[in-house]
Amino acid sequence: MDITGTYRISARREVVWAALNDPETLARCIPGCKELDAKSPEEMAAKVALKIGPVSATFAGTVRFEDIVAPAGYTLVGQGNGGLAGFAKGRAVVRLTDEGTDTILTYDAKADLAGKIASLGSRLIQSTTRKLADQFFAKFAETLGIASAVSDQSETADAADQEAHST
Amino acid sequence: MKARTFSFRRVTSVEEALAAFASCEGEARFLAGGQSLLPALNLRLDAPDLLIDISRVEGMRGVSVSSSGLRIGALTRHVEVLRSPLVAEHASLLSRAAPFVAHPAIRNLGTIGGSLALADPAAEFPTCILALNASLEIAGANGIRTVRADDYFRALYETDIGPGELLTAILIPPPSHGQRVHFDELARRRGDYAIVGLAVNAVIHDSNVKEIRLAFSSVGPIPTRAKTAEAQLIGTFLGAEGIASAQAALANDLSPDGTDEVSSETRMHLARVLLGRSLNALLREDK
Repeated sequence: MDITGTYRISARREVVWAALNDPETLARCIPGCKELDAKSPEEMAAKVALKIGPVSATFAGTVRFEDIVAPAGYTLVGQGNGGLAGFAKGRAVVRLTDEGTDTILTYDAKADLAGKIASLGSRLIQSTTRKLADQFFAKFAETLGIASAVSDQSETADAADQEAHST
Repeated sequence: MKARTFSFRRVTSVEEALAAFASCEGEARFLAGGQSLLPALNLRLDAPDLLIDISRVEGMRGVSVSSSGLRIGALTRHVEVLRSPLVAEHASLLSRAAPFVAHPAIRNLGTIGGSLALADPAAEFPTCILALNASLEIAGANGIRTVRADDYFRALYETDIGPGELLTAILIPPPSHGQRVHFDELARRRGDYAIVGLAVNAVIHDSNVKEIRLAFSSVGPIPTRAKTAEAQLIGTFLGAEGIASAQAALANDLSPDGTDEVSSETRMHLARVLLGRSLNALLREDK
């Protein structure tokens, strides 16, 4: 399952790109982020506390940048261990394009859960991922000093999933 | 598994409950029927420092009726909603939905307020109160306020209830003359989370739809009204043609999530099926 979203940010692409690579900005924007320490320019250690409905868990894990093409985008790869609650991992391809003096940010995210949160939460993984992405980008736009980001989101089932249900 | 250690405090009034929450230095949770909270604690998906047991708070349980409508205390258990003659008379949509809520053992303990405060997107009562245009009474540090169901559901598992506030009652306006209601849902097995559910509240005179509210469950992060389909139906004669165009209009109202088990397309199809069945049921009742 892919979850995609598009945001318009009223800032130049270089500014948005710099913010996307700044651990302090990311730490402020990642929902529930308690700690974010840069271990190298490409990798950070993160501690994230989330409360979604009946689940309240702190995930300790890493966030890594891959496929970096400055200032056009990168792939964010994250994984976290929520202790007894389970394990979460995800990757998001983030692309930046110019539109006048604005920047259009698109993401294409996949999330996987394992353990108890998977057995209890799989029916809500899409809503949850979208909610967290929304919170992140709303805060991101705010941090860049812009009043609002326009979001236009959609989700597409991947080919394998469609095939599974067309039979 | 067993829950992590927590402090426990039983309170007997709303004021005491709010004060206990405010004075807790760590994380506190209100415990009502415990049918969602206790499993989460036992699975260690949540580990609050303090549980505030509100189940014996006076005045928060039971059903009463006045000229302004029906008042259901938040601590009223699902089984009490199911069996209440007052609910059957004044808010029969809830009586019809109650048998779909989980299983008897859970209905014996779970409370309507607990269901509405958790606001699971697949739950039955949240869609009902949205269809019934009910209001929710919320107590907090600044006293009691009410919020309409249309403004109550904010995001996935997020409601208008702020931290330290307590849902105390559900207020349902009196039924209009010609009111017709229907509840139905599709699930793999009885008691499972619904793949899609629908609460309908309509006013119909001689097959003419005067008013209608359609509230779906499980099609998004919060209970969702199908406003385009509602508009399509209002002022029209309820018949095969009207039902078909309302079903088509759902495409504008819903964009359900897909999961590994049910694709978005399947869920959308089932929403149309459910709408068709429910409107046909209203049609039959009207004759």
